[in-house]
Amino acid sequence: MRAVRPWLWLLPAGALVVPLFFLPVAFLLRNSVYRDDPMRFLVPDFTFANYITVLTDAYYLKVFSNSLGLAALVSVLALVLAYPYAQLITRASERMRLLLLWMVCLPLYVSIIMRVFGWIVIIGDAGVLNQLLLKLGLVKTPLHIMFEFEGMVIGMLHRYFPLMVLPLLSSLQKIDPSVLRSSTNLGAGRVRTWLWVVLPLSIPGAVAGIQLVFAGVLSDYVIPMLMGSTRFPIIAPTIFQEASTNASWATAGALGVVLLALVLAINVVANALIARAAPWTLRS
Amino acid sequence: MSRFSARLPGLALNGYGFVLTAFITLPMLFPVAVAFTNGDSLAFPPQGLSLRWFAAALDNRQFMTGLRLSLLIAAGSTAIATVAGVCAAMAIGRYQFRGRVLIQAVVMLPLSLPAIVLGLGLLFVLPLYGLRTGMLATMLGHALLGLPYVLSMVLAALSNYDPTLERASLNLGAGPVRTFFSVTLPLIRGGILAGALATFLLSFDNISLSLFLSKNDTLPLRMMQQMQSYADPGVAALSTILLVFSLAGLLILVPRMGRAK
Repeated sequence: MRAVRPWLWLLPAGALVVPLFFLPVAFLLRNSVYRDDPMRFLVPDFTFANYITVLTDAYYLKVFSNSLGLAALVSVLALVLAYPYAQLITRASERMRLLLLWMVCLPLYVSIIMRVFGWIVIIGDAGVLNQLLLKLGLVKTPLHIMFEFEGMVIGMLHRYFPLMVLPLLSSLQKIDPSVLRSSTNLGAGRVRTWLWVVLPLSIPGAVAGIQLVFAGVLSDYVIPMLMGSTRFPIIAPTIFQEASTNASWATAGALGVVLLALVLAINVVANALIARAAPWTLRS
Repeated sequence: MSRFSARLPGLALNGYGFVLTAFITLPMLFPVAVAFTNGDSLAFPPQGLSLRWFAAALDNRQFMTGLRLSLLIAAGSTAIATVAGVCAAMAIGRYQFRGRVLIQAVVMLPLSLPAIVLGLGLLFVLPLYGLRTGMLATMLGHALLGLPYVLSMVLAALSNYDPTLERASLNLGAGPVRTFFSVTLPLIRGGILAGALATFLLSFDNISLSLFLSKNDTLPLRMMQQMQSYADPGVAALSTILLVFSLAGLLILVPRMGRAK
């Protein structure tokens, strides 16, 4: 009786995860080896032709390289911008720290539509930034940022910034102040202490942040649709377009499986990196 | 002068913090300002003050039916995810059994599945359960997305207190059901609340899964369509109303989460 009890507790979660997670993924895998037929819906088959198309066709290759490049760019920008910010939060007074934490978390509670709307007002062609630049005489014609690659980068950076700050913060806050004191007592200056104590101890947070931002950017549909340009196609809108507009369910399936594999690979690499850089975080 | 230069790094860091805080908050403040405009454009500063876009947003049938539907979906998916997540956390946090770590990893998996990929698969599975795209399908999909959040937050709450409290309750003669409801649940209330809130927000703001599972009629999808066809300040007005409600909700809920520890 005691042995079945945990499994009884697991029943409701199982009733969600098995039919709504495992079966859909299984169907996706199945679709990806079926064949798209222009006349009919989706033809049962067992072929890797869709994968070959998706991984060799120039257009899809561009979509993948665009997506990976963008994800890498946004991750690096987020890390560089978030690190000093996280340090600022750890050093701030109690009240200031609370205020800054609220600021960081606020976007998570505001609808993504509202945030995009705000960016239109700020970086749109007639937006606040362009008005300011024109008035100052810094540009002659408005800068084209919104609905371009740059606009998409800004939107993504804003959307995923909290996901970089929060893990960094948790790493930085775990550092025992006595470790820093002993480093100073042993004669290391501020810079050396930061380089040899703070930085290595914060690697787990940085890796976790990069993982979250990278995977988020790769799977994002909304920002590219509302802030990006069709001249820079990326993966999630492409999958939706293949499925809904082109009704190429097999191709969409293969693209989806590749995206899923990429995201899982990122998770595996990140966990391995954390285990190497910070073996003390592993549970015994 | 030398004292000033010694303080320079600190000042630079503070200035940087100010600029970045502006970067984070401004995109949420400008729509509020634009919502009060009397003009028809999204220009800032607003041309004259009026509440007419608020009236327009509240009169918009597309928005109001979308709002009702999104609230129902969010409430339903939150209830489902919370029950499933709390139960799973009890199994994983309170029992030792074979495959415990694996099960935890499996329940956390939906977190790393891109919603667009999940939607693509779910679309083919729905007919198996006699479901079509619509409210129930969307609710179930969102519940799956919320499950990992509830599980992780309730697990954290469970590990924060001493399991001997439960044993004491059992030894004193309370049954397992009574122990669960009057000892365990109150102790993990903060974690449950945090997980439920995360699920609600995630569902209420979801676009990439609703795209496949709903009839394109949830509030975020309606707002997205509106923004793509004609960008008028109505979306800003509606967003502002939602922002006020969600901030009020946060101010009520967040203190309760901390206190329950």
